[in-house]
Amino acid sequence: MGARPIIQVENLSHTYMKGTPLEHVALKGANLYVEEGECIAIIGHTGSGKSTLIQHFNGLMRPESGKVIIDGVDLSKKKVDVKTLRQKVGLVFQNPEDQIFEKIIGDDIAYGPFKLGLPLKEVRERVKWAMSVVGLDFEQMKDRQTFALSGGQKRKVALAGILALKPKILVLDEPTAGLDPKSRNELLEKIKRLNREEKLTVIFVSHNMEEVAMLADRIYVMAGGKDVLCGTPKEIFTDKEKLQLHHIGTPETVQVLYRLTDLGYKVSVDAFSISEATEEIIKVLHGTKEDLEDVQRV
Amino acid sequence: MSSEFEISRSITIGQYVPTDSYIHRLDPRVKLLLFVVIVVAIAFNTSYIGNAIGLFLSLYLFWASKIPISYGLSGVKPAIPFIIILALLQLLFQGQLFSGGKVYVDYGFILITSESIRLVVVSAVRFIEIIFLSSVLTLSTSTTQLTHSIQSLLSPLKKINFPVHEISLITTISIRFVPTFAIEMEKMMKAQASRGADFGTGGWWRIIQRTKETFPIIIPLFNIALSRAEDLILAMESRCYTPGGNRSSYSVYKTLAKDYLVLLVGLLFAYLLIFYPFPF
Amino acid sequence: MEPIIRLENVSFSYKINEKTKVSVLKNISFSIIPGEYVAIIGHNGSGKSTLSKHLNGILTPDNGDVWVHGNNTKDTNNKRSIRQTVGTVFQHPDNQIVATIVEEDVAFGLENIEVPREEMKKRVDEALNVVKMSQFRHRPPHHLSGGQKQRVAIAGVLAMHPDCIVFDEATSMLDSFGRKEVLQVMRKMNNMGMTIITVTHHMSEAAEADRIIVIEDGQIVMDAPPREIFKHKQELKNLQLEVPSVSQMAEGIHQQFPDFSTELIQEDEFIDEVMKFSKVEVI
Repeated sequence: MGARPIIQVENLSHTYMKGTPLEHVALKGANLYVEEGECIAIIGHTGSGKSTLIQHFNGLMRPESGKVIIDGVDLSKKKVDVKTLRQKVGLVFQNPEDQIFEKIIGDDIAYGPFKLGLPLKEVRERVKWAMSVVGLDFEQMKDRQTFALSGGQKRKVALAGILALKPKILVLDEPTAGLDPKSRNELLEKIKRLNREEKLTVIFVSHNMEEVAMLADRIYVMAGGKDVLCGTPKEIFTDKEKLQLHHIGTPETVQVLYRLTDLGYKVSVDAFSISEATEEIIKVLHGTKEDLEDVQRV
Repeated sequence: MSSEFEISRSITIGQYVPTDSYIHRLDPRVKLLLFVVIVVAIAFNTSYIGNAIGLFLSLYLFWASKIPISYGLSGVKPAIPFIIILALLQLLFQGQLFSGGKVYVDYGFILITSESIRLVVVSAVRFIEIIFLSSVLTLSTSTTQLTHSIQSLLSPLKKINFPVHEISLITTISIRFVPTFAIEMEKMMKAQASRGADFGTGGWWRIIQRTKETFPIIIPLFNIALSRAEDLILAMESRCYTPGGNRSSYSVYKTLAKDYLVLLVGLLFAYLLIFYPFPF
Repeated sequence: MEPIIRLENVSFSYKINEKTKVSVLKNISFSIIPGEYVAIIGHNGSGKSTLSKHLNGILTPDNGDVWVHGNNTKDTNNKRSIRQTVGTVFQHPDNQIVATIVEEDVAFGLENIEVPREEMKKRVDEALNVVKMSQFRHRPPHHLSGGQKQRVAIAGVLAMHPDCIVFDEATSMLDSFGRKEVLQVMRKMNNMGMTIITVTHHMSEAAEADRIIVIEDGQIVMDAPPREIFKHKQELKNLQLEVPSVSQMAEGIHQQFPDFSTELIQEDEFIDEVMKFSKVEVI
């Protein structure tokens, strides 16, 4: 590995409700490394420890045992400047629209920057910037009432509320859950842009394999509180045995290509987008045609 | 190191813990009746010894229901500051009302006597006993059992058109949602902390600031509660629930001989707490 | 066949305040035949959820009528029999569970319609069996996964022996595994003869149905079998809806090989077509 990782998690464990009858182990010995500028997807089933893991990134949870180092700050140390940490690591929870509490969009987005103690002018600039990043028109939308927004718009407002902190690292828990296809695609585009153009390090939890394949540079697969698999989408989705072992789904295209390989077609399975997969099948169809023509000639 | 946000951990009310102890297997109606009677008895008893016995009893029940005492203690923990503040206020300002016994301090309006100390200590202990008892009750009784017991205990009131069923259902649904809301609140605190909110900074005397700090939590929670309630009503109506309608019952409870025995012992105990002249 | 649900010129609007009303459903009419598997799709805000709440009388139309087995939902005397005929499974797994024990929750509806206890036991057993949740019957539901909770909710509806179940975005909060679990149960119940209506914005789910009704701006814009619907790729795109991946892939292949069918909506069909196609080319 080249650069120093911006997030480094080593052998992290956590038990909820320790010492109660409802005690359960959420993490046991998880590891994760993220380099600056990467886009990382974390996948795994409900209860695999994903949410607990990401709550360590901005110090909402402190390592019970093991190590968490965020941009050089060791969170297992007693004294950690959590405030700066939470500014540096923007954490967007699942259904973040629930957390909107101000009546007016602009006010709600400004909550974070005000809490940082920034001057009014700077706050305004940040709100403006954050709104433009998520695709909300500042002049038109800043004074709108929050309750009258659609689900997709509310989610944009909530995301802007985090972006206004100007984080270096953006962590999202199921960012597109419950959105309709249009809002989902819009949001994914925004996240992609933040990663590629604004150079934010992005880590997101998802169970939608299409979006994982589309966005992520690398994927971590969590199971039973541990990282069981890690690699590029290509490495993960082409490792059929491991996919089955850990019950990981694949993008629909990959699923089709796998079935075709099982039937003896020579397609490569690392085509994640519809157009790539189509190309792949067309190639094979051309191929079989030629093969068969050869056979006929003989 | 535990997290500063682990709220759901400290809520012991509403979390049914099936350990299958004999307390769990008791007729829930007997349990509920005894709970009410013993709480009343404790409220009547002002002696040190009586409340020590009450405390002992509630700890015993925790043990007997096979639920770790530490779990019960974690339910008391968040209440401790309130108990202390309340006790201090009582000690300082209510001395005049309960004067009697030996006078320790008499300074301006502050009057501390052995009687007022007794009042303060006993009411603090009482509070803890009641938290313990209600924890044992809810930890060992499922909400459905509770609904049925409240309903059958209140059923005589039906004759005077008291909405017995509605009351019992409302009670149990509120209990059923306590842990859900604890989780919701925890999530909300974390979400707002992630965008820079801080809770509990600044001394407790800065009431206005601290109240303002809770808005980002309270307002969304209120919205969530409303939408959950709306969903729940729809779901219940879709399953043919009609307020005031007659219902049959899935679980039936037979009061067995041992239930009567426990009831008898419990009532006797309550009787003693109320009427026995404890010397101290 | 006599329709199980019939909507006649149904209009509905939400009152925001005394003056403003938002019209959500505009003059909708359709019928559902017993045993059908119907998907109602539309993007958020299209009115599909409001529509689904009309199917068992939770909402009643401002204008027009909804008939369930010939009973008008506006008549409050019919309320109970209508809700027994048409059950609903809602979106949020947590918000439709009333009891703290799985089997007691399944029994909640039965208690409401005063089913005798012996019968109740039988029906709870049956329902839990169909959704494969029998081994969880004594568990508290809040420790189950989303998919399992939804299956409990389905069992609660199933136990009431309805003729039709409406799934109001019942899979939208679930992960892919949970979704698969629920879809399997839906398919199974339809095979048992139950009428299924699913409200969704997942195209792959809609493809499972026998018939799709597309709602936009409170009106029906398409009503046809999936194969028919997914031919209109451009219209669907304009309605902010997506065509299943295999249909999109088939379309792409079709452009190169004009004989390759574009009417494919399910993975199996697609695979078959690829196989058939490579054979056809030989001869």
